[in-house]
Amino acid sequence: MHSLRYLRPANVEEAVRIFNENEDASFLSGGHTLLPTLKLGLARPAALVDLTGIKSLRHITVGGDVLSIGAATCHADVASSDIVRRHIPALAGLAGSIGDRHVRNRGTIGGSVANNDPAADYPAAVLGLGATVVTDRRGLVADDFFTGLYETALESGEIVTRIDFPIPQIASYAKFRSAASRYSVAAVFISHGQSGVRVAVTGAGTNGVFRAKDLEQALSDDFRPEALADLHIDPASMSSDNVGTPEYRASLVMVMARRAMAHPGTTQSYK
Amino acid sequence: MLNERAFKAVGKPLPRKEDLRLVTGKGRFTDDFNMPGQVWASMVRSPYPHARIVAIDVADALGMPGVLGVYTGVDCARDGLQPIPHNPVPSTNFDMKLTGPGGTKVFIGSHMLLPADKARHVGEAVAMVVADTRDQAQAAAEAVAVEYEELPWVADTLAAAEPDAPRLWDELPDNVLVDSSFGDAVATDAAFARAPHVVTMTAHIGRVTGAPLEPRAALGSYDAETGRYTLYAGSGGAVRQKREMAEVLNEPPENLRVISFDVGGNFGTRNRAYVEFGLVLWASKKLGRPVKFRAERSESFLTDYQGRDLVTEVSLAIDRDGKFLAMRASNLSNVGSRCASLSPLSKGAGLITGSYDIPVATLRARAVYSCTMPTQAYRSSGRPEVTFAIERLVDKAARELGFDRLELRRRNMVRPEQMPYVNAVGSTYDSGEYEANMDKLLALADWQGIEARRADAKARGKLLGVGFANYVESSIGTPKERADVIVRPDGVEVVIGTQPAGQGHETSFAQVTADLLGVPFDNVTITLGDTDVVSAGGGTHSGRSMRHASTVLALASVEIIEKGCALAAHCLGVERDAIQFDEGVFRVADRNTSLSWFDLAGRADDKSLPESLRGGLKVRCDSEMHTPVFPNGACCCEIEVDPETGGLEITRYSTVDDVGRCINPLIVHGQTHGGIAQGVGQALWEQCYIDPGSGQPTNGSFMDYGMPRFDNMPSFKTQIVEVLSPTNPFGVKAGGEGGTTPAPAVIMSAMEDALSEFGPMDIEMPATGLKIWSAIQQGRARLAASKTA
Ligand SMILES: Cc1cc2nc3c(=O)[nH]c(=O)nc-3n(C[C@H](O)[C@H](O)[C@H](O)COP(=O)(O)OP(=O)(O)OC[C@H]3O[C@@H](n4cnc5c(N)ncnc54)[C@H](O)[C@@H]3O)c2cc1C
Repeated sequence: MHSLRYLRPANVEEAVRIFNENEDASFLSGGHTLLPTLKLGLARPAALVDLTGIKSLRHITVGGDVLSIGAATCHADVASSDIVRRHIPALAGLAGSIGDRHVRNRGTIGGSVANNDPAADYPAAVLGLGATVVTDRRGLVADDFFTGLYETALESGEIVTRIDFPIPQIASYAKFRSAASRYSVAAVFISHGQSGVRVAVTGAGTNGVFRAKDLEQALSDDFRPEALADLHIDPASMSSDNVGTPEYRASLVMVMARRAMAHPGTTQSYK
Repeated sequence: MLNERAFKAVGKPLPRKEDLRLVTGKGRFTDDFNMPGQVWASMVRSPYPHARIVAIDVADALGMPGVLGVYTGVDCARDGLQPIPHNPVPSTNFDMKLTGPGGTKVFIGSHMLLPADKARHVGEAVAMVVADTRDQAQAAAEAVAVEYEELPWVADTLAAAEPDAPRLWDELPDNVLVDSSFGDAVATDAAFARAPHVVTMTAHIGRVTGAPLEPRAALGSYDAETGRYTLYAGSGGAVRQKREMAEVLNEPPENLRVISFDVGGNFGTRNRAYVEFGLVLWASKKLGRPVKFRAERSESFLTDYQGRDLVTEVSLAIDRDGKFLAMRASNLSNVGSRCASLSPLSKGAGLITGSYDIPVATLRARAVYSCTMPTQAYRSSGRPEVTFAIERLVDKAARELGFDRLELRRRNMVRPEQMPYVNAVGSTYDSGEYEANMDKLLALADWQGIEARRADAKARGKLLGVGFANYVESSIGTPKERADVIVRPDGVEVVIGTQPAGQGHETSFAQVTADLLGVPFDNVTITLGDTDVVSAGGGTHSGRSMRHASTVLALASVEIIEKGCALAAHCLGVERDAIQFDEGVFRVADRNTSLSWFDLAGRADDKSLPESLRGGLKVRCDSEMHTPVFPNGACCCEIEVDPETGGLEITRYSTVDDVGRCINPLIVHGQTHGGIAQGVGQALWEQCYIDPGSGQPTNGSFMDYGMPRFDNMPSFKTQIVEVLSPTNPFGVKAGGEGGTTPAPAVIMSAMEDALSEFGPMDIEMPATGLKIWSAIQQGRARLAASKTA
């Protein structure tokens, strides 16, 4: 590995300043995506600005009907949080279903959302709950935030500070995991709340996380598993690899959607 | 010869002596060793499956920071380095004798440390960079400019055997290096011609890799003063590595010392020498500095010796009553770009008829080169392949001909009174009670309760599948073993040439020694892994270690007890014949005097001893044992398939394993559990996949190579059966690999049972969710079509 500067700011302003002062800087959170990328030589930043020392980025709070999670909060803290369990149990379950114990104690919600891996879990919750990604300069609604595979609306040097989740009446998540990577081959997050029914699909789409509008429509009319019985997903919008063909993924999306509906208020993980 | 009543340690589930060391971080693995002045090697690897090396420009790399040298195949040739002498053709008296086409000698393509002519698989090292630090070496390796001329390539096993396939070796007319036939072809043909039923099956047992936790590593140093080389490299047997590396370097063996203490997983991947072992030694002499190499995980996936990769076509001739009349098999093994081992092909060849009494059989065994990483004996070398073939074929016969699958097996099993039994290809099964194993297993697995569980699963939307398989395997392995037994005032030391990678030799060998000499288990230590101490030994493979070790220790104990008696007679001033040895104590009959081993050891260095008794209380003993043994057993598993997703859960897994004498049940059960997981891994998740369009291996990490994990396994029920083998003093067969041998067959048998409503199953391992789901879709479509038709 080439040499680089490691910097650990104490607050967001300092982080922004350091980022701007260092050419080719990169934010570091849990490092569970960034460090492997560095080791493989796929990214070669000159400086790493570690955000996990910033206290204001680590919190879980409720205000009104919004649940806020600081960007540097690790998955294990979300999974075990009484607040999250009480208000959005499916979200706590989702965090607890990510990777393994080591990953959950390092990986963070901000890193996951900023990275927007097409098979990652959090993007499904952010989009499926209609959350707002708050940065050091603005708030971005989920529908505008995820723009493609590993692509987001974040600008250079923009820091995700927290995610604001509107608390739904009910939400659930069902995922089918890859035997090797344990990432989702297809997973569906469904919520029914202030802004109606939202259905977000991760792991399966050619363009990363997306909303399944047909499913949303059907469930808006009739919020029961049976409402999904005759619906299909077009395989043309599904990704393909050794783990899953487009047809397989299209089928899995519908199965996961029905199972999510059948187990309201939970996360279900299948293998 | 053995007094079983005196066994205090043998047969007991004693906790392992090595565990405290290993779990407290005190293991000594190769990468734990560092030497003053040490520098690092990194490899330049071929991106192509087959390419001529036109030129290698090292100038840029040489100019990079810290770089000390860049070496290529031309340099190896200039220095007269020899190819690695893998000696791949199994050659004990009892191995199936493989030959080239038409009975010729098997052509072994030379395995130079670095090739000068061409790269024959993706990842083959074509140059080595040595630099002050690992990072510098890796950076400089990227700067080595290799000009390649891409050549046509072939990776697929069947395609590689075609006469017009792209050729790897100019010395051969095609890629076929082995083509041998066994058994009685004429009688087999006649039996097939007469048979009312013939059932045929073709299967590809895919390519997998061992994925040991500890990536391979090597540290080589050359001492100019003594002219000796030292190599730290974890392996399956340091003695073998020493001999082979000495040949590579053109040195007499005594100029090499190989050290292999703790090994973090082997499974066969480490039983053959790696080019990096020779390269670090060679470079250390050239540079006058110790040179170290450690593989990245991705390098391990690409270039650890891989396993299996066999295409088998089998048919069975059966009479009206379900009696097997004859068997035909054709096995094709893909050895990769070099021939490191033909053990899998040879081992499997001797066992094609499995646990069944099949009067005549014939087998064609072939091996091909291909543009892939060489394959090697992988856990339970060759046996899971042929067990898969015969057991799946018997299931198919039962289904197609309307027999009950257990009943059909019972009708054809080799019976105890036929032992020793010579099978149709000439292997002599030593002992075993095969049908009794089956009965024990069916009770253990609660076969009676299957239909109730099937109904319960169905109520939950799941398809229950029950798999069954019998197995018999062989343990042959290197025939020679040596032990030094040294009694000192404070304990007994045994020096022996096997090499555990988790099998617990320090414990089980100590149990055997303790009971043979009548000393406490805690007073015995086992020394392994340093060729300056361990002078000979066959290493650990083929389930040979316990059997060979207990045999040579039994011989050594007779000698050292005799020595002890003579010494005791001298010390007590009586005739030799007046000394009785019993349970660790030397005494004179009718006298109240006795001496323990440790008392005697205290006097063994006495200067006043007569010449014949001097030199310490120790013996060195060699044994040579060719006769193989045949561990055997039966296995049953249950899976629940989720028909909507193709996902599955293994809900039950039971085995009965006849391991001969079980020295330590705790260790044997543990080995069986690991063995099961490894066999199941191949059936369900593991595959070294090569992209058919580009020839590129696509599994470079655990992200895309599925490993067996604890949360994918049920709690196993494993039962040990001890039918003692008449072939060695303790009656040992072998344990552990029996977990792996039937596993692929039993999982696929369960799969077929689960999916039976959809018609004949056509799923190749690994049976991933995608494949299971697709098979269900196709089955449903077929059923729907047949209804409308
Ligand atoms: C073995 C393994 C298994 C995994 N399994 C799963 C799984 O099953 N499901 C799943 O969803 N994920 C999984 N992950 C991913 C993991 O959960 C993390 O979510 C992911 O690595 C990103 O989070 P991080 O905190 O590690 O981010 P980092 O690796 O530190 O950063 C990732 C990217 O985001 C940027 N970034 C980080 N924080 C911010 C911020 N606050 N503002 C702006 N940009 C930022 C970084 O610059 C970098 O580009 C797995 C990871 C591993 C290693």
